[in-house]
Amino acid sequence: MPHCANTSDYLLAEAAPDDVALVEAGRRYTYRELRAAAGKLAAELAALDLPVGSRVGVLGPNSFFWVAAYLAVMKLSHVAVPFSDRLTPDDVGRNAGLVGCAAVLADQRVLRTFEAAFGAGVGVLTDQALRSGREPYWPDAGTVDAGADAVLMFTSGTTSRPKAVRVTHGNIQANTESIITFLELRSDDRVLVILPFFYCYGASLLHTHLRRGGRVVLCNSFAFPETSLDLLEREKCTVLAGVPSSFQLLLRASTFARRALPSLRLIQQAGGKLPPVLIEELLAAVPEARLFVMYGQTEATARLSYLPPDRLQDKSGSIGKGIPGVELRVLAESGEPVAAGERGEIYATGANISPGYYDDAEGSVAKFTPYGLRTGDLAVVDGDGYIFIVDRRDDFIKSWGHRISSQEVEAAALRMEQLVSAAVIGVPDDEAGEAVTLFVTARPGAMVSPDEVLAVCRRHLPKYMVPRSVLVLGALPLNSSGKVAKRRLREMAAAGAAAR
Amino acid sequence: METQIRAEVTEFIVTNYLFGDVTRAPRDEDLLVEEGIIDSTGILELIEFLEGRFGIEISEAETVPQNLGTISSLTQFVMSKSSVRQLGV
Repeated sequence: MPHCANTSDYLLAEAAPDDVALVEAGRRYTYRELRAAAGKLAAELAALDLPVGSRVGVLGPNSFFWVAAYLAVMKLSHVAVPFSDRLTPDDVGRNAGLVGCAAVLADQRVLRTFEAAFGAGVGVLTDQALRSGREPYWPDAGTVDAGADAVLMFTSGTTSRPKAVRVTHGNIQANTESIITFLELRSDDRVLVILPFFYCYGASLLHTHLRRGGRVVLCNSFAFPETSLDLLEREKCTVLAGVPSSFQLLLRASTFARRALPSLRLIQQAGGKLPPVLIEELLAAVPEARLFVMYGQTEATARLSYLPPDRLQDKSGSIGKGIPGVELRVLAESGEPVAAGERGEIYATGANISPGYYDDAEGSVAKFTPYGLRTGDLAVVDGDGYIFIVDRRDDFIKSWGHRISSQEVEAAALRMEQLVSAAVIGVPDDEAGEAVTLFVTARPGAMVSPDEVLAVCRRHLPKYMVPRSVLVLGALPLNSSGKVAKRRLREMAAAGAAAR
Repeated sequence: METQIRAEVTEFIVTNYLFGDVTRAPRDEDLLVEEGIIDSTGILELIEFLEGRFGIEISEAETVPQNLGTISSLTQFVMSKSSVRQLGV
């Protein structure tokens, strides 16, 4: 295996020491302060005398401490394991057990909740260690095996139990370089981070902006989009990154579209398909900003493809092409590339693809194949090589003998501008096989009836795709990375059917 | 009236976000979002509840922590909406 820089050194190598690295709750931290804090935590962690390659958890909301902890773990050639602070203590405990965590760096604010998650043998350090009396430990930059694990990232597990993805030093650096290149990130960029760092997309924002020497503005209160927008304005953020639910909330439940946001030059959207009507609303809301639609997976460190902003109109609905260094191919069941217009599954190769899941040989073989990373996404390619995802392999609905894309039904419903979000599932049905069932939420103050939603669906969809039933909810259940948890919708539908 | 609004808001939060576990009921000044009790879709749900139950309208610009961040601020905010008084809650 070739060698590369230690990822913590790599991430801090380019920044000017006195530039601001992080903004948290109005407080600014320079790169010098970040390195010193990471050094303190590294010194405390080194005192635990763990063998190289130990798994060390990082737990808490996005914060200066979180970033310093993450850098400290990797600097010592341990493996950082970001835990979601939105799971139950039982789930965090199970995940910690799954990867054999030897220690955890935990934010005091959440430790009370999660204390019981970690067994007696797990060393616990908190942000109090930032005030350690020890000399910061930050040896000169060295090299590591590029194939050594830097991070274990849990998949969000919308449908099944979470898996720990091995992300190597080489993976992170390859993906970071590629993203910086195609987004043309700059050292004077300031990114508003509303996504958690335990999610690969959030982590990639941290990696790319630190590497570029830019500024990371932390925003943990996106539940209040107005407050987040105030922060974006006040900090003159140039970059905003979100998942579909972020933009749905901004466009349909905040003053985003009416505000002038002159600092904003770049918008990143990934983490699922944003319906075309909302892309149009987004472009209209911030016409000066360049919008990058992207596609990725945890198993690929973060990003796999992007659609250049100048192709948003003529390739509307496409995820674009592979990012630099990534090859995406759409393959038929036979393993052969499909012809233009035909459906296949997306496979990916590149230096950012993980070597596999931690301690799960069986799961790894199914996902990491000789053809590359099997994404589970079904797609067609057009004559120019642009890829259009049709749906998740697992997300198709079979109704009356038709294969129905849940995304298409959701996009049709969202033409109704009183709606904030929509999610479609197939509910087992004796006659149809699966009945198309649509869940929607309305924007604050809007009164929407199921019949009105159905009327819109009938106008825009062929008859076989029109939902059997529509349910208006106060909120859609989301998983910790902001994606709709369809498994929970299926449980709700099943519970409703049982009640009848 | 204030006591009743506070009780109803607290009950809604406990029932909907804390699985009915009254032992985890937030105190008046606990930060509902920062402490992970309510997330971004939960806020929309909360607004819908306030609008429906108390007959008030909440604008986008009012969806801020100063109004909705704690049980205490929620209660004051609902009180400040004149239509509540007409309802005779």
